[in-house]
Amino acid sequence: MGSPLRLEGVTRRFKDTVALSNLDIDVAAGELVALLGPSGCGKTTALRIIAGLDRADTGQVWVNNKQIDKLPAHKRNMGMVFQSYSLFPNLNAEENVAFGLKMRGTSKSQRRDRAQELLALVGLANHAKRFTHQLSGGQQQRVALARALAFEPDVLLLDEPLSALDAKVRANLRDEIRSLQVKTGTTTIFVTHDQEEAMSMSDRVAVMNAGKIAQIAAPDVLYHDPADEFVAGFVGQMNRIPAEPVKDKVRVLDTLVGVRSIHEFQRVDLVALVRPEALSVVQSAAGNSKVVARSFLGPMSKVLLQSNTGHEFQAVMTSEQSASLQSGDTVQVAVKQGDYLVVPA
Amino acid sequence: MRRLRLGSIPLYIAVAISGIYVLLPLLSAGEFSLRQPATHNYGLEHYNWFIENPDFVHYLWLSLGLALGAAAILLVLLVPTAIWLNLGGSNVRGLVEFLTLLPLVIPVVALAIGAQTSLPEFAQTNEFVLSFMYAILAMPYAYRTLDTGLKAVPLKTITEAARGLGAGWLRTIVLVVTPVVRSTVLSALFMTLALSLGEFTLTSLLHWDTFTTWVTTMSQSNILGAIALSVFSLVGVFVLLMLIGLFVKPASNQVSLEEE
Repeated sequence: MGSPLRLEGVTRRFKDTVALSNLDIDVAAGELVALLGPSGCGKTTALRIIAGLDRADTGQVWVNNKQIDKLPAHKRNMGMVFQSYSLFPNLNAEENVAFGLKMRGTSKSQRRDRAQELLALVGLANHAKRFTHQLSGGQQQRVALARALAFEPDVLLLDEPLSALDAKVRANLRDEIRSLQVKTGTTTIFVTHDQEEAMSMSDRVAVMNAGKIAQIAAPDVLYHDPADEFVAGFVGQMNRIPAEPVKDKVRVLDTLVGVRSIHEFQRVDLVALVRPEALSVVQSAAGNSKVVARSFLGPMSKVLLQSNTGHEFQAVMTSEQSASLQSGDTVQVAVKQGDYLVVPA
Repeated sequence: MRRLRLGSIPLYIAVAISGIYVLLPLLSAGEFSLRQPATHNYGLEHYNWFIENPDFVHYLWLSLGLALGAAAILLVLLVPTAIWLNLGGSNVRGLVEFLTLLPLVIPVVALAIGAQTSLPEFAQTNEFVLSFMYAILAMPYAYRTLDTGLKAVPLKTITEAARGLGAGWLRTIVLVVTPVVRSTVLSALFMTLALSLGEFTLTSLLHWDTFTTWVTTMSQSNILGAIALSVFSLVGVFVLLMLIGLFVKPASNQVSLEEE
């Protein structure tokens, strides 16, 4: 079972750039938290500070209620999988997996047994004697994962481990990592810029922007109740549709909807942030929009629409519902009821 | 039997032409060195001529010693520098590149005169000063060999991985970095040895005698013997290359593994 991890007020500057600004994260034992954000948002810096490969200017790192930020990397008991392949080319898969145990003085026979066990767990029991150049990219990352888990680390740190792999291998490995993490109960921090990866694998996702956490929440909360426009735009697709205030509501595409957050909306032009699946599209000769194009995505279809006022937006519906829609059709688009995030245009 | 692929034909032609270009003069020299004009037969007379000369072993060992000295100096100087630069000390990379290129720009004559006027007397009277001079001459090649080799290895990532797995700096260097950079270091070593063993100009300008200057002196008295000596030197270097080649093989290739 993994250990709880806590970052308190961690700040890191590189010359004039602030990579992390007063970062606080609390991760429960056995939890998988993804750090999600665009390049340069500080997510990898945070991971490296936890691993001890970089030092914070200020702030503390706690694991299992012990402060570890003064400890060197090799005394922290963290398992790490890197973005680039990091297996030792002079060692075979089994020796790579056993390396961490060797550093901890485990006997040779125990090391071999444990390495075999972990390689079996990642489906590579038959590849124990293979060297790096005899393994595919996906296999190398599996061995790296087994190596990081072999010595039962307090925390498993994954630094975009899937980004160098092709789409199919990535999807398979994503599921394998999650099931392995659940099976071993290892507390895990997963750094990624791929929102689909973060949403599908994590217990909670911390969306980062400019060295700060914009929002940390369960994937469904993040999707349905984003804290701000950055989170809304980064997680899933989002339409920006002009909105007009009407008393305590706003009118979006002829629909009056509830508002969760309004920033000084009496004085500026507003837009409502509406998910593509929150739009209903019905054929109507006197409708408010036109169909521009339709993309078939299997069970679902994406329909590109343009309002009579010239704004383009997307709707997602089942392919069955969209079957009758053709480019140029006039349709009535309405916003399904709910509380929407409304921001200045 | 493997089939000859059409796409590989230009490669085979290029290899054949290069082979002829290199081997034909060597074979001709070999044949010439075995001729015995007196009897119109072939024999080892010219090889015996220099092998029986007591200076032969003396200068051969001296040159090998100087070359090994140069290699040791360069490796002590360049291996930690190249590893450090590849681990992230990149803000001085430009300066190091410039310094290691200087020996290519400075004429050997200037280097020799500089050495004669600036070195203290005890250094000028000891032939091992040549090791330092050879090290300077070989530096551009040795550094580039090391740097290119190290760039091909994700040194930073595997070092961090080792530390993350519980290895301190010493164990990281001994267990991970050293085996990974071994073949690169051996390549740089060979480069330095080959260059030092064949160095003539600087040695001659500094009035020292080594194997190469001895060969030149000897060639003036017996041309066929000098050719035999040259063939011996070439084959000797080739054998040295083969021997080092055995060590240069990556560790991972030394084990044969069953294919899937």
